[in-house]
Amino acid sequence: MDHRHLATLICGLYAVTWLPVPGAEQTPAQDSFAAQIRPFLAKYCYACHSGEKARAGLHLDQFRSEQDVLQKREIWEKVGRAVRSHEMPPKGKPQPSGEERNRLASWVEQHLSKVNCSGPRDPGRVTLRRLNRTEYRNTIRDLTGVDYKPADDFPGDDVGYGFDNIGDVLTLPPVLMEKYLRAAEEIVEQVWAKPELRKKVFPVTAPANQPGARRGVLRQNLEYFAKRAWRRPVTQTELNKLLSLVELARTNGDDPETGIKLALQAVLVSPHFLFRVEQDPEPGQRIRALNDFEVATRLSYFLWSTMPDDELWTLAEKGKLLEQDVLEKQVRRMLQSARIRALAENFASQWLQVRNLASASPDPTQFPGFDDELRRAMYMEAVLFFETIAREDRSIADFLQADYTFVNERLAQHYGIPGVQGPEFRRVELRNGTRGGVVTLAGVLTVTSNPTRTSPVKRGKWVLENILGMPPPPPAPDAGELSEDPKVVESAPLRVRLEQHRRNASCAVCHQRMDPLGLALENYDAIGAWRERDGKFPVDASAELPDGTRFNGPQQLKEVLKTRIQDFRRCLTEKMLTYALGRGLEYYDKCTVDDIVKALAQKGDKFSVLVLGIVKSDPFLKRRGKEERP
Amino acid sequence: MRLPPTAISRRRFLRGVGTAIALPWLEAMAPGPIASANAAARPPLRMAFFYVPNGIHMQDWIPAVEGTQFELPYILRPLEPFQKDLLVLSGLTLDKARPHGDGPGDHARAMASFLTGVQAKKTAGADIRCGISVDQVAAQKVGQLTRFPSLELGCEGSRQAGNCDSGYSCAYSSNISWRSETTPLPKEINPRAVFERLFGHGTPSEREVSRLKRDHYKKSILDLVAEDAKSLQGSLGGPDRRKLEEYLTSIREIERRLQEADRKPIQTPAGSISAPTGIPAQFGEHIRLMTDMLVLAFQADLTRISTFVIANEGSNRTYREIQIPEGHHDLSHHGGNKEKHEKIKRINRFHIEQFAYFLGKLKSVREGDTTLLDQCMIVYGSGIGDGNRHNHDNLPILLVGQACGKLRTGKHLRYPKETPLTNLYLSMLDLFGVPTEKLGDSTGKLQYLSL
Repeated sequence: MDHRHLATLICGLYAVTWLPVPGAEQTPAQDSFAAQIRPFLAKYCYACHSGEKARAGLHLDQFRSEQDVLQKREIWEKVGRAVRSHEMPPKGKPQPSGEERNRLASWVEQHLSKVNCSGPRDPGRVTLRRLNRTEYRNTIRDLTGVDYKPADDFPGDDVGYGFDNIGDVLTLPPVLMEKYLRAAEEIVEQVWAKPELRKKVFPVTAPANQPGARRGVLRQNLEYFAKRAWRRPVTQTELNKLLSLVELARTNGDDPETGIKLALQAVLVSPHFLFRVEQDPEPGQRIRALNDFEVATRLSYFLWSTMPDDELWTLAEKGKLLEQDVLEKQVRRMLQSARIRALAENFASQWLQVRNLASASPDPTQFPGFDDELRRAMYMEAVLFFETIAREDRSIADFLQADYTFVNERLAQHYGIPGVQGPEFRRVELRNGTRGGVVTLAGVLTVTSNPTRTSPVKRGKWVLENILGMPPPPPAPDAGELSEDPKVVESAPLRVRLEQHRRNASCAVCHQRMDPLGLALENYDAIGAWRERDGKFPVDASAELPDGTRFNGPQQLKEVLKTRIQDFRRCLTEKMLTYALGRGLEYYDKCTVDDIVKALAQKGDKFSVLVLGIVKSDPFLKRRGKEERP
Repeated sequence: MRLPPTAISRRRFLRGVGTAIALPWLEAMAPGPIASANAAARPPLRMAFFYVPNGIHMQDWIPAVEGTQFELPYILRPLEPFQKDLLVLSGLTLDKARPHGDGPGDHARAMASFLTGVQAKKTAGADIRCGISVDQVAAQKVGQLTRFPSLELGCEGSRQAGNCDSGYSCAYSSNISWRSETTPLPKEINPRAVFERLFGHGTPSEREVSRLKRDHYKKSILDLVAEDAKSLQGSLGGPDRRKLEEYLTSIREIERRLQEADRKPIQTPAGSISAPTGIPAQFGEHIRLMTDMLVLAFQADLTRISTFVIANEGSNRTYREIQIPEGHHDLSHHGGNKEKHEKIKRINRFHIEQFAYFLGKLKSVREGDTTLLDQCMIVYGSGIGDGNRHNHDNLPILLVGQACGKLRTGKHLRYPKETPLTNLYLSMLDLFGVPTEKLGDSTGKLQYLSL
């Protein structure tokens, strides 16, 4: 179970006081199961879920201690959810009180999130990851020099945990395999047609006076290509197999070039190229440390979305990459490289959701100024802002509030910043706090709006999910929506209509947390431009949180968020760790997250502390075997 | 359009040796009517499944009366030319889209269970799990009769960022076909890519030149990499092994297709068709062009099974073409608002208009003495009834085409409450020659379809 999910469950409970989610530190009394939970089960559940004829095969009577519960986390996640959502007990059976329900559900949530960080840690197990579209295109570019645009037309990579690089979700259906085959053919042809690319792929040349050396040279070249493509040394057997394709062409009466091209194609459709293969531990061994090549690959795809470059490769070959200071130096080098743009384009654009700008469609009658140029500019601003924090190793607190941003003429106009001319982006200093930081990026404000109006709810939800790491649960399906009837719209400002909505007690719990965060951003219209009026009403950007904190407008919202920096550290760490590992976080990852959050707080919140914390962590450097857990 | 002489002679030859069953159904392209209606050469049955998201404004979908004397309500009215060819099926239920303890996430569950009848495992990524879908049950049994066992088409790619639906991976709300319980099949959304997949790329002469030798080489490459995958499978465990199995299955599928190509060279069905250039800017045109591709694929008998996702479940796209600037999903939570009802109705009808275009195309293609539409059975529907309530009973479902005369169409049928939607699929599989005991939560076949 991942933390974000837990946070979802807990929303209802802790919303009222707006407390942080309780962690494992709050140790409940020894075996609270027998004392607190069994009586509930006996009273409300055993009637159906016990004995030989237990409904749905769910034998709740077989659980006798906390330990039993922790052995069957999956079942108990479901139990907690069902009780919390009033799904269980079913209608017509005795119903627990609201307080009883909460007590059970929160006990379950607390206990499932418990983990002991002092013993040996479970690094988890990343499922074999196929290269996604971006990674494929980047890897082909670095390996061969060919920019293979049709990769954009590969079937879409599904998103899991908010990102499109999750091993479990990246499938390989026939339609994609077909495209890989065709791509390999086209890429190899393109390489062969251009001498300079050919030289990049096959750098070894035969000495002019030794024509007999040709076979040896071919072998060396093929080895050079295959090891880089497969991101590890290749064996002689593997090499011989590739060379057999050259032989095959010869026996079919084709020239050696045809055969060489076949071998190159085979390299590019091999599972060793298309997947990032990591070996499992030896039998009998539960956990293994990844080797230099595997770490070089993880590092490179995490920060650059592509294969390792020559420097990483050379260090891996020398067996030096895993030395702590070498690893750290490499991470710093990678962060300062121009290639760190890939982290902004692939991680940040999904974290901040500005990738969804591509499909944003503000109503053209209300927002005639919104066009593709502005759409691109909004996206670039977010990318450049993130990239700068990474490259300059700035504090992650800049994400919450910064006195600089990046604009070109189009975006500057949109923001009302004078004196910026031309399409290229430049850094500008900000004076009045209405811009700067991620919550006031036009891109973020746009993707969290409806096409025809702002949505304080969506904006508030975005802040909870992506800044504070406390996503609210989804609304009940019949929760009802705000009336869009023109008469109603004209009768009262949006905030008043939202207040009416919040009167419904079951909605109020979460909306009291969401809405204020969004309402403070009401000075930005649905495409993120500043406004003083909304329709015929003056904008009121004042807000109050359930704990009584009052604030007004974006500057004060940012001040409030800064007081929540600890939540933000955790949130960003969880998101980036998910992206770096290519898997959802599990309860045992809490130890790693805790370590990184602590390090950030101690070391000035520098971006590199976050990245180094991830890179040097067990989940990043180790791998668990098939099924067992330590 | 003239049938290429080589194909005719090949066909005669095949008939001579009694293997006419494996023939692509090319009569539609023949210059005149086929004289002898050889029983074995009857046009084959095709099946397709169309999905629309966010439910339907049911008040303007369900005909007022049952039986044959019904009037098509506002949303369905564009289907008037096909009223005799369709069945409106009311009362069907998708129980596995309900929470059953899994909480919110109706959109993801609706789409994942629509063709599977299986409840999606609630996970944002790890260990996605649902069930095999009806189209894939058919494809795995009879898909080898055509070059493509099935086609997965759609008009919206996967979502690009963020969470899709309440803790469910986006794989659930953007895919409708499931090859196995762990492998959803993504859809092709670019008409150009579909065309090239169906008919190859390059000019027709390039397509055939030295194809045999190239295919031979390709097979050697595939053999080699399949060996790599198998040996990896030996050393890796759990989910990794499953990923490699996907890889191997895909390789085998392509190998089979290469063999198929040796036996039956590709025919482009109409000389006038040229490859589309890409995804049209207008949504309606995009849908229509994709359905054109499907008509071509059916016509040339390149596949007999297809799924078609008009938009992903929960889609919030706007419909500028019909002056609707709000997002579809936002609108579908109408809260009883009349103006929103109005707009949802118009979106629902817009989808149906495109579907009517597709049916018209199918009807315009002659096959023997009938039309291509007569040889089809096409489901159209949503896994959500009302978008505001997120209910999964009394779903909007159409079944179109007479299925080679096996269906008695032109009726509105109402089934008892809670009749599983999957019962319809059992009946369809039966008609398709793939009798199946159970699919997901099915309880038996659906009555009255053939009466």
